[in-house]
Amino acid sequence: MNSSADPIVAQNLVRYFGDVKAVDGINITVKTGEIFGFLGPNGAGKSTAVRMLTTLLRPTSGTATVAGFDVAKHPDEVRRRIGVALQDAAIDPLMTGTELLRLQAVLYGIPQAHMKTRANELLERVGLTAAADRRVGTYSGGMRRRLDLALALIHQPTVLFLDEPTTGLDPMSRMSLWEEVRRLNNEGTTVMLTTQYLEEADQLADRIAIIDAGKIVREGKPQDLKAGVGFPTLLITVPFDQTERAKAVLATFGDMRPTAEGSLGVGLRGGVTVVTDVVRKLDEASVRVQHLEINEPSLDDVFAEATGHRLEGAKA
Amino acid sequence: MTVATSNIVIETTAHSRQLSMRQTIAMAKRSTIELARQPALIAPSMFFPIFFAVLSASSFSKTTAIPGFPKVESFMQFALASTIVQGVLFGSVTGAAALATDIENGFFDRLLLAPTTRTGILLGRLAGSALFGLFQSAFFLTVLVPFNAPISGGIPGALVMVLSGGIVSLAIGAIMSSVAIRTGSAEAVQGAFPLLFVLLFFSSAFFPRETMSGAYKRIADINPISYLVEGLRALVLEGFTFSAVVRSLLVPTVICAAAILFALKELRRKLAAL
Repeated sequence: MNSSADPIVAQNLVRYFGDVKAVDGINITVKTGEIFGFLGPNGAGKSTAVRMLTTLLRPTSGTATVAGFDVAKHPDEVRRRIGVALQDAAIDPLMTGTELLRLQAVLYGIPQAHMKTRANELLERVGLTAAADRRVGTYSGGMRRRLDLALALIHQPTVLFLDEPTTGLDPMSRMSLWEEVRRLNNEGTTVMLTTQYLEEADQLADRIAIIDAGKIVREGKPQDLKAGVGFPTLLITVPFDQTERAKAVLATFGDMRPTAEGSLGVGLRGGVTVVTDVVRKLDEASVRVQHLEINEPSLDDVFAEATGHRLEGAKA
Repeated sequence: MTVATSNIVIETTAHSRQLSMRQTIAMAKRSTIELARQPALIAPSMFFPIFFAVLSASSFSKTTAIPGFPKVESFMQFALASTIVQGVLFGSVTGAAALATDIENGFFDRLLLAPTTRTGILLGRLAGSALFGLFQSAFFLTVLVPFNAPISGGIPGALVMVLSGGIVSLAIGAIMSSVAIRTGSAEAVQGAFPLLFVLLFFSSAFFPRETMSGAYKRIADINPISYLVEGLRALVLEGFTFSAVVRSLLVPTVICAAAILFALKELRRKLAAL
């Protein structure tokens, strides 16, 4: 066992799939009691990194310790101490919630005498008591996610990995899951959360790492990262044939920022007070502004500034 | 050793053998529940063999007079053994396809994330197949014996036939599970099914080898399915003799042991490649 007190430590972790470098030398340290957000678009390497940290994949090189044990050398020790809810909530639709919890309890070596109590506690915790004896195939997406979380908690893990836990959920289910994650964290569970949703990372994580193309491009507290971007972003939409003229005007007020297709963005060096000047200059250049909005720095700006492109699903 | 995570105490190495057994039984229970809850999936493996047995008994009743055909009460009596083998062949594919589905949909990852023995994951699934094979064999005998298909070996012979059916199911389940593990695709497992059907067709399942000739006989002579069927058939036609019992259990046991070793090797290969 590693004497390090940090529950998750990855050092120069690399994973190849054939010639493709899915994870490119990442370093992560997650402190006890933190919610650590791993933010990135689809295919950035988040899930591959989590699969290595949870012993499902071997690192091509580099080392990682989770709950004090090396993931490659002592995988069973790691497995006994972590809870994992994977991306697709892979739950057997033919079994009932209770049956799955009891199976999971056996897999984690929970004595028979405690199984029923523990299963009932968890079903109550995630609000599935009434549906406990229904087959999982009849559950909604949100119910499946909550059951998945309950399954991950069966052995009271000290470290919890949640891989895109709210992807595909409606806003209500998402909020309810966030609440549960906060509650678990308040009870002392360290959480590593991967997400492609900016709001999720912003709302939940104490610290985040932004990953793109297998590399961590930024890491820190969300507020520090946003403050680092500095200026607010002015977004405008103009007729297509006036785009070049608009760009020339905007460039005099700050650095152009990547935006969704059809709009232009500029980091306003002078802050929001120069917006009227920008509008006047655009008018003088015969640019007709169809839409205008000002955004304070967001994690999306941090992502865009670090990678040169916006995060997919940022508005979800 | 025990691991305390908050107030839950987890059994680990102190009772590791008992725990592994508990885990394997739990996984066998799951695969049995799965099968029982998909009647549409298991019905063909229960009723098609019966249908084939009834059809062949009515169509080929006169073939029992062909020289070389063993002395039987009816063609149904001759077909009893092949019905069991045919049924468990069909049934075992269902179990292996379910394993492939677990791999496809990520449930297999959930099992791998638990501190269980890796062999337990496979053996649990195979134990479910074996239980289903036992059930199928008992079902076929219960339905067909009253139709002039007595078992010379009596009740002990019938029990050995049921046991043998379970072992055959385990063996075929292990072979098909290797396909499931290698491909991770339920379609690939279902796609391998016609191969089993061809093997069954080119065996002594439907006619005795003594009545065959040419290439058909040469294939049947080297086809392991012939020996599986003939072992069971010995209990039906010869009685509860030492030779019949050994033949009905030895061949499937040898094939089963080899198939399980191969499936475990496939599993180790897959896990090493992760």
